[in-house]
Amino acid sequence: MTQHSEFLLEIRDLRVQFHTDTGLVKAVEGLNFTLKRGEAVGLVGETGAGKTTTALAIMQLIASPPGKITSGQIFFDGKDILTKSEEEKRHIRGKKVAMIFQDPMTSLNPVLTVQEQIAEMIRLHEQVTNKEALEKARAMLQLVGIQPERGPDYPHQFSGGMKQRVVIAIALACNPQLLIADEPTTALDVTIQAQVLELMRELKQHFNTATILITHDLGVVAELCDSVAIMYAGRILEKADARTLYGNPQHPYTQGLFHSIPDLTKNVHRLNTMPGLPPDPTALPPGCCFAPRCQYADEACSANSPDMTEVEPGHFVACFKIQEKNGRQAHG
Amino acid sequence: MIPVALGVTFILFSLLSVTPGDPARLALGEDASEESLNEFRREYGLDRSFLVRYGFFVYNAAVNQDIGRSYVTRRPVAGEMANTFPVTLNLAFGAITFATVLGMTFGIICAIKQYSIFDNVTMVIAMLGISTPIFYLGILFILWFSVRLRWLPSSGFDTLSQRILPWITLSAPSMSIITRMTRSSMLEVIRSDYIRTARAKGQKESVVILKHALQNALIPIVTIIGIQFGLLLGGSILTESVFSIPGVGRLAVEGIKSRDYPIVQGAVLYIAIAYVFINLFVDLLYAWIDPRLRTRYRY
Repeated sequence: MTQHSEFLLEIRDLRVQFHTDTGLVKAVEGLNFTLKRGEAVGLVGETGAGKTTTALAIMQLIASPPGKITSGQIFFDGKDILTKSEEEKRHIRGKKVAMIFQDPMTSLNPVLTVQEQIAEMIRLHEQVTNKEALEKARAMLQLVGIQPERGPDYPHQFSGGMKQRVVIAIALACNPQLLIADEPTTALDVTIQAQVLELMRELKQHFNTATILITHDLGVVAELCDSVAIMYAGRILEKADARTLYGNPQHPYTQGLFHSIPDLTKNVHRLNTMPGLPPDPTALPPGCCFAPRCQYADEACSANSPDMTEVEPGHFVACFKIQEKNGRQAHG
Repeated sequence: MIPVALGVTFILFSLLSVTPGDPARLALGEDASEESLNEFRREYGLDRSFLVRYGFFVYNAAVNQDIGRSYVTRRPVAGEMANTFPVTLNLAFGAITFATVLGMTFGIICAIKQYSIFDNVTMVIAMLGISTPIFYLGILFILWFSVRLRWLPSSGFDTLSQRILPWITLSAPSMSIITRMTRSSMLEVIRSDYIRTARAKGQKESVVILKHALQNALIPIVTIIGIQFGLLLGGSILTESVFSIPGVGRLAVEGIKSRDYPIVQGAVLYIAIAYVFINLFVDLLYAWIDPRLRTRYRY
C-alpha cells in the first residue's frame, strides 16, 4: 500500500473492450497512467481515442454489457478499485472521485430541483439531515456563482452554462480527491467556456483537487493543466508537464497535433492536417498504433508496440524512433 | 365536459333512432293492444320527432336533473345507474390497479434485464394479452379456474373471490400494454446522461431506477394508463356479460336488447362523464410529475 502512496491514481495496463455488432472494439488497450495528489492532467486525443472510456473505467461506470474491463489494475489511494465490492465502489464514486460530464443539457435530471440534485450527493456521503444537506447545496450554488435562491428551480430554467455550473457544484459537493472533467466546455459557446474554465481553475485552487481534464482542445489544457497526456487508439503516446510538452513535443503524433493548430499570423488557405485516419478500434494494427500514419515508421514499428521511455526528466514517450535517436545521442 | 356530454348523447340518440325494433312492443309484450301501445308511446314521447325528443332529453337533464325512466322497469334511469355504476367502477378500478401495479413491475424488470429470458417470455405473454379478446379470455378463465380447478366462482360480484377473475380478465389487455410501454419508456430513460450522473454520485442502483429513471419514464406510462382506464369502462360491458356482473355494462346490453333507450343513454352518458374526469385527472397528474409542464402554465 505504501508502495503506491506517492500517487493518488495509478492505472496499470488497463484494457477495456466493447462487444458490438461490428466486432470487438478495443477502446482502451494497455493504458498506463499516474496522477499525483493535487495534480491537474490534461488527457488529450481525437474522438474515439478512449478518453471517456478511461474516465468511465476509473468511475467504474462502464456499461456492462456491452463493455468490460478485461485486464489491468486501477489503484486509487494505493488500493485496487477493480477488486472492490459494488458497495465499496459506491462509496468511492461521488465522495472520492467525481465526474463532470460532457453535455450539461442532458446531465441533470429534468424532474428534480437543482438543489435536490446537489443535496442528494451530500446526503449519500455525509451524515447530515435533509435540511443541512439542502443548506450545503445552496452554499455550493453560491460557490459556483449561482444565486442560492435559485435552488428550488428545475434544470430547464437554467441556461447551458448555468447547468454546467450546477453539474460542477454536484461534482465538488463532497470535496472529492479526484475530479474527472470530460470535455466540460465542448457543449458551451466560447464566452461561457471561458467563464466555466475560470471557475474550474478557481475551484481547483480552492479545494486542491486532483483533476483529469479530458479534451481535444490543446488551448484549454494549457490554461488549466500541470501536465499533459496524449492519447491515441486506447494508449498514451506521450506524457510530460505542460511546459515541456508544448515546448518540445517528441512523438510524431503529438508533433502532428501541434502542426495542425492554425497560425493566426500567416495567411493560409488550407488548414494543416495529419494524413490518414485513426485506426479502426475493431482491428488495431499489431505494432505501434500510430505506425500506419507515421512518416518515420519502419518494419520494427509495425511488429512491436513501443513502451513508454523517459526521454528527459518527467517526459515520457512511446516511440521506437525517439528511443533510437536518444540511444544514439547517449552513445555518440 | 358539457360539449362532450351533448355530443355523446346526440350521436347516441341518432344511432338509437335508426335502430330497428319498436320499444313499445318490446316493453308491453306481443299481446298488447294497439291502444295501450299508443298510450305508451305518448307517455314516453316516442310519437314525437327525433329532434324534439332530443331537445326534451337535454332540457330535462339540464333543468330537472332527470334523464328519463326505463321503458321496461318504469323506474328512473338515475336510480338504476346509482345501483349499477358503482359496481362497474369497482370492476374498472380493480382491473386498472391490477394492470398498473403488475404491468409497471414487469415493465421495469424487463427494462433492467433487457433480452433476458424473463424479458422475452414476458413480451410474448404481453403480445398474447393484447391480442386475446376479453370475452374469450373470460370464458377460458371460467373453464380453467371455475370449472376444472374449482378455485374461484364463475359469476357474481359480491365477495372478493367473485371479483378476482373479472378483475384479472378485464386487466389483461391493459396490463400487457402498460408492461410494454413501461419497458420501452424505461429503456429510453435508463440510457440518458442524467442516469449516469446519478450513478456517478454513488447512488444505489435501486434508487437510480426508482427515483431518477421511473419519474422520467412515467409521463408516457400515465398517458397510457389514462387511455386504458377509459377503455376498461367500455370493456367492462363484455366482462360483465361473461361473468354475470350486475353493472352498467350488462344493464346497457339488456337495454339494447329490449330497445330500452333511456337506459342505454344513461349508461353511455355515465361512462362518457367518467372518461372525461379520468382525462382531467391524468392532465393534472402530468403537471405533478413533470415540472417543465408546471412552469409552462405558470406564465
